[in-house]
Amino acid sequence: MQSNRLGWILLAPTMVILFFFGVLPFVYVLWVSFHQWNPFAVDPTMVFNGADNFRKIVFDAAFLNSVGVTVMFVFFAVVSELIIGYFLAQAFMRDFPGKSFFRTIHTLPLIMAPIIVGSVWKLMMTPSIGIIPHYLNLWFGISVNIGTSPAAAFTTIVIMDIWHWTPLVTLTLIAALVSLPADPFEQAQIDGANKRQIFWHITLPMIAPAVVATVFIRLMDALRTVDEVWMLTGGGPGSATRFVGVHIFKEVFPKTNYGYGSTISVIVLYLTIVACWLLYVTMLAPRNSRKG
Amino acid sequence: MASVTIKDITKRYGSVQVMHGVSVDIEDGEFVVLVGPSGCGKSTLLRMLAGLEQISGGTISIGDRVVNDVLPKERDIAMVFQSYALYPHKTVYDNIAFPLKMAKRPKHEVEEKVTKAAEVLDLGKYLKRYPKELSGGQRQRVAMGRAIVRDPQVFLFDEPLSNLDAKLRVTMRLEIKELHQRLGTTIVYVTHDQIEAMTMADKIVVMRDGRVEQVGSPLDLYDHPDNVFVAGFIGSPSMNFLHGKIATHGGQKHFVSDNGLALPLPATTAAEGEVVTYGIRPEHIAIGDGGVKMNVVVIEPTGSETQVFARSGNDLMDALVKERITARPGSELGFIIDPANVHLFDRKTEKRI
Ligand SMILES: Nc1ncnc2c1ncn2[C@@H]1O[C@H](COP(=O)(O)OP(=O)(O)OP(=O)(O)O)[C@@H](O)[C@H]1O
Ligand SMILES: [Mg+2]
Repeated sequence: MQSNRLGWILLAPTMVILFFFGVLPFVYVLWVSFHQWNPFAVDPTMVFNGADNFRKIVFDAAFLNSVGVTVMFVFFAVVSELIIGYFLAQAFMRDFPGKSFFRTIHTLPLIMAPIIVGSVWKLMMTPSIGIIPHYLNLWFGISVNIGTSPAAAFTTIVIMDIWHWTPLVTLTLIAALVSLPADPFEQAQIDGANKRQIFWHITLPMIAPAVVATVFIRLMDALRTVDEVWMLTGGGPGSATRFVGVHIFKEVFPKTNYGYGSTISVIVLYLTIVACWLLYVTMLAPRNSRKG
Repeated sequence: MASVTIKDITKRYGSVQVMHGVSVDIEDGEFVVLVGPSGCGKSTLLRMLAGLEQISGGTISIGDRVVNDVLPKERDIAMVFQSYALYPHKTVYDNIAFPLKMAKRPKHEVEEKVTKAAEVLDLGKYLKRYPKELSGGQRQRVAMGRAIVRDPQVFLFDEPLSNLDAKLRVTMRLEIKELHQRLGTTIVYVTHDQIEAMTMADKIVVMRDGRVEQVGSPLDLYDHPDNVFVAGFIGSPSMNFLHGKIATHGGQKHFVSDNGLALPLPATTAAEGEVVTYGIRPEHIAIGDGGVKMNVVVIEPTGSETQVFARSGNDLMDALVKERITARPGSELGFIIDPANVHLFDRKTEKRI
């Protein structure tokens, strides 16, 4: 009993903080999402309008488009980050000269604020002053303009996200790989498995929990990407890179449509939870429940 | 099935040499046990046989094929690790089936072989469980099952029983022995338990510090150890050793220890005055009225046998006898030594005389 109470006392500060900074804001957003509220409009009062916002969202073409663009972005970015991150992690598991140096500079993008990343990439991508369009044109005769080409803008954002976040994947995968026991791998070699079979049958299942955790983190982060995109393309050209985060931002800030913005946030949160749940169920749950 | 030839194997880790020219011939179907103290290179040698460790010098052949540069998966060997190395995320069934699945055997064959192995090893009830839900002995059997479904040319075992309790160890020892008799496959078995070595082996290889000290049948090593190390390593409790000289007394050769204890000798070529090490196994000493007088230090009865530790001056000796001895510490007992069972070694070279 004694130790139980002590446990609660020790937990209390965290719970209080969580309540004020996590639970309360969420409940507030949820509450707002059922209202018509534009504090800067002629009539700034909050009017309860039931499920109207939610009904509206289903037919909101701009929103649906942003979900589609976001899903594509998340898919390309996260899958590439996983693959590249895995190969980098494997490379960093080996010994080579200058290894710790490379590992250090490779993690540098992680400590940069997204807004900086966005502005630097904008500088590099702007036609006529950026070095990337310059050399692409010089060497390959390709002209890219993220201001006019939706494909170029989208691709650039995916590459920027890969550049920014792959190191996180690499780090978590290194941690997972380092902690693997050696004998199952030696046993698998003796049991006649080739490299590919070892990867699919031994390595991947054994690092699956770490992979899923990494994908969760990246998925949640990527789904709410705003600043870099805002900086680089502002959601354009047209709505080619208008991800949900950007969409909400535009809804809430320039239009000050707080009620509807909250509704979109709630829906996006819901979609994120569903995506993570699906991922968990397909990758980890069958194993855990059978292991019981 | 195949013979294995290990020739002048050396192994270096960076600048440290851990194997210094090891040669062992293993015949087809033979049960060979590698023994030796911790760190002598048993596991390293086994891992080189398996192909998990690069060979720095010499050659290893399985059958007629030199396998120095052959990948583990192409050597057609099965190995059971001390840790069992089960795949934690696979069920018992999938663990045992793994080598067959990797070899892309047809499904019905996999099922048939796994079921049969499970039957032999009494694992039928556990096929759907995960390794963490098994006891140590059951895990050990899964590892065995995974090895036997392969039907390999050679089995390699690295201390497979060392994590089991004494009783289970005896049972598994019999099972492995029986498995060998049934399959007739060549087995290389590492242990540092010399009872395991004595009971299972056709041939024992005694190693020390990356060298082979002696190769022979269990009884051969017991009866004719080549040197002090093998004499002390094989047999339990281990042999008594006394340092001293050969002396003549009344026209007969005797051994006199550095502390002045006189002991009987067999007919020997050792000359008078030669500095030697005298060895006698505890079980070759009888306790009675005659013999050498020794003072009891400790008596350890185990029920079936009694081990008596005794001293005379600074010389220590222990005897293992069938009868029950009751004597107070300090009291005198006669240690009767049959000269026929005495081993003499050169003190300097430690080689048998
Ligand atoms: N990776 C390695 N790097 C350097 N030295 C090693 C390495 N692996 C083993 N050794 C050395 O090689 C020697 C033999 O080791 P090995 O594991 O073969 O001993 P062992 O006879 O199996 O001992 P044990 O009975 O304790 O298992 C030891 O001295 C050990 O320190
Ligand atoms: Mg070992």
